[in-house]
Amino acid sequence: MRSNKVLALVLGGVLAGTAACGSDSKPADSGSGKSGGTLVFGTSADPVSMDGAYVSDGESLRVVDQLFETLVTTKAGGTEAEPKLAKSWTASADGKAWTFALQTGVKFHDGTAFNAKAVCANFDRWYNFKGIQQSPSVSYYWSTVFGGFKTQENPDVPKTSLFASCEAKDDATAVVNLTSPSSSFIAGLAVPAFSIASPDALVKYRADKVSGTGDSPKFDGTFGTQHPIGTGPFKFDSYTPGDKLVISRNDGYWGTKAKLDKVIFKPIADGPARRQALESGDIQGYDFVDPGDVKTLQAKYTVLQRPAFNVGYVGFNQKKAPMDNLKIRQAVAHALNRAALVKAKYPPGSVVAKEFMPPMLFGYANDVTDYAYDPEKAKQLIKESGVTNPKLEFWYPTNVSRPYMPDAKANWEAFKSDLEKVGFTITAKSAPWRPDYNQKVNNGGAQMYLLGWTGDFGDPDNFVGTFFRTAQPAWGFDNPAIFNALEKARVESDPAKRTAAYQDANKLIMEFLPGVPYVHTQPSLAFNKNVKGYVPSPVSLESFADVTVG
Amino acid sequence: MSIAESEARLLSTEHTGDIAGSRMREAFRQLRRNPVAILGAALITLFVVVAVFAPWLAPHSPTAGDLSQITLSHVPGPSAEHPLGLDTQGRDELSRIIYGARASLLIGVVSLSLGALVGMLIGALAGGLGGWVDSLLMRLMDIMLAVPGLLFAIAVAAVLQPSLRSVMIAIAVVNVPVFARLLRASMIGQRHSDYVLAARSIGVRRWRIIVGHVLPNSLAPVIVQGTLSLATAIIDAAGLAFLGLGSADPSVPEWGRMLADTQQYLQSAPQLALFPGLAIVVSVLGFNLLGDALREALDPKLRR
Repeated sequence: MRSNKVLALVLGGVLAGTAACGSDSKPADSGSGKSGGTLVFGTSADPVSMDGAYVSDGESLRVVDQLFETLVTTKAGGTEAEPKLAKSWTASADGKAWTFALQTGVKFHDGTAFNAKAVCANFDRWYNFKGIQQSPSVSYYWSTVFGGFKTQENPDVPKTSLFASCEAKDDATAVVNLTSPSSSFIAGLAVPAFSIASPDALVKYRADKVSGTGDSPKFDGTFGTQHPIGTGPFKFDSYTPGDKLVISRNDGYWGTKAKLDKVIFKPIADGPARRQALESGDIQGYDFVDPGDVKTLQAKYTVLQRPAFNVGYVGFNQKKAPMDNLKIRQAVAHALNRAALVKAKYPPGSVVAKEFMPPMLFGYANDVTDYAYDPEKAKQLIKESGVTNPKLEFWYPTNVSRPYMPDAKANWEAFKSDLEKVGFTITAKSAPWRPDYNQKVNNGGAQMYLLGWTGDFGDPDNFVGTFFRTAQPAWGFDNPAIFNALEKARVESDPAKRTAAYQDANKLIMEFLPGVPYVHTQPSLAFNKNVKGYVPSPVSLESFADVTVG
Repeated sequence: MSIAESEARLLSTEHTGDIAGSRMREAFRQLRRNPVAILGAALITLFVVVAVFAPWLAPHSPTAGDLSQITLSHVPGPSAEHPLGLDTQGRDELSRIIYGARASLLIGVVSLSLGALVGMLIGALAGGLGGWVDSLLMRLMDIMLAVPGLLFAIAVAAVLQPSLRSVMIAIAVVNVPVFARLLRASMIGQRHSDYVLAARSIGVRRWRIIVGHVLPNSLAPVIVQGTLSLATAIIDAAGLAFLGLGSADPSVPEWGRMLADTQQYLQSAPQLALFPGLAIVVSVLGFNLLGDALREALDPKLRR
């Protein structure tokens, strides 16, 4: 059970995160509403597939999360791992064998039994993916959490896998063996991509039939479109692409049954159109409220904000002088008026970042080096740096809007103005987000650049680990102290030690200052006032089971 | 006005052995008596003065802003300190409009000069040499004319790195066929006039006839077109900037970009769309009025 202790440690952070949402966005008490009714919910797009193993986009995961369940889930409104289909889990002494004690008496929607064999059938299915199934755009989460497959058929995925094997010891006990110690994979398992599907249905509806190409796969079976069979509180009803997807209560659910009779997902791509659909009564709630609409909607609707689980930052490439000069990096950090930017250009609820991961995640350190806005100090630091008239190439992306960067150009202009005030000469560089900008930055071609990250699951390795655990061209530095600290934290299996290790790593990172994080934002959802019980989650894993209407 | 139409209208000018210089003097006299021309010239003068003396006229820095008064739903409007209010980055809107005139004038003049120069060279070659050179060059120009001007400019600007220089090149390229066709047509009109025949009959060499007689007498329509094209160039530059194809540095004040930047704020700060729009209208109007008056002055038929 020791992994479960992780959770308690960070409750403080979660509470702080929720409190920051303000009174309007506090989730209503669950369990207070009546049962029954239908909720029509506006989404931004159709799901790509309802087969969790093949998707990484939020709209697919949203639906998969209602129909299926994972061994481990994420605490509602938080990022900590919580038991779901697994009642508990323990690691072996070497951290390589993880034993999951499973719920009993659980049945899939098709009536077949959920047991350890079914769990291992799913793990084996993922591990044995072939050809197009291995494409990073198809099985993104498997490669993110476990790396490679049994046989590498795609050059873009790692050769080796963290996953070794899965054994069904008895009906209620499954053991997952790893090739090296890891603790971060537990949080990864909460992503609906690791949903346990009915092994019978997977075969019957030919889930493994995939054709097309890696970038535009075609799922030939009907598992992901017409027969998504899991154990979740809702079961699949009907799906008309472009129009609606209907799910209804699973009356045979093993846990607390869903309150709503039905949930209808209606895809509406355009943000203003979603708002109008809510205002006209076509839908009773929708996701991705435009930042500029938050204030207006708050008057008549319930606006919920997801706790910040992203970071926007200014990155430095230390291969490009004078970025290798710590004083110059510090001068930039002190020159940027991050608070003014966040207040002016971000929706209410956004906070100024001081490190490369959001405050609600365990391992966040409150006492990292703080670089307050101080133009005089910045000028002084430039003097001390020995660089006269420092010139910087500052990159920004075009054709992109991200929660952490709704308007990259506006951020760039504000920062440029700040930097020029203290004596930097700034050269403007820009490129379209996809693919030019990302390539330029990731290949180390940009000296200073705007970028950000939205977390996939609740583990610090998914934030600071992806940035700084290994040397990367985008950052252009080689700092073994930071690399080792992050690797040590990644494999540590004791939760308390793990938290402390990440806190130490965060302090090291912010002292070294590879970039300047500046914002954590809170994406918003809007609902009619009579919709209760929806709990916004930082990782967007939100169950409709506790939601009530009217 | 389509190219063919403007060609036809410009070519209706009679060139009866008038030497170029005296006709210009006459035209200038005409212009001074035309109120439309005076208004056009006044607007252009205003535009040029504002552009040239921007650093002395602008009350604040056009690039240094103060975000403290800005939010997603509020941008301060006009005040005593900032007569046109602040922009979405907290910069003085008036100063940005004033500096924006610089970019517009620079892009207009450079792109036009470049386009006209290349275009006239091609036109002179085609019109002067005739034959297969003429056919080849004109078919090439026809191909360029077949693509709508702004669309062509967008394509050119998108291929080049985003910068003011790219915008100038893009607009220049669009202008090349216009001037090439115009000068060629004008020169062909002159080729069989009496003074050319006279010059040829006394044995003047062909290139001397072209450079010394035909070319100067063919310039009138080009001058008119130049004034009108400057207006189009300013609009095109604004259009490209609006589409994000202007300078790579978004803090450089450009009227088109300023318009584009206010899209999200149209409800809370409509004045921000109004001012750059007005600036574009006024400067373009100036060149259009002067261009029209100039055409009248240079065309004896219209004058009567």
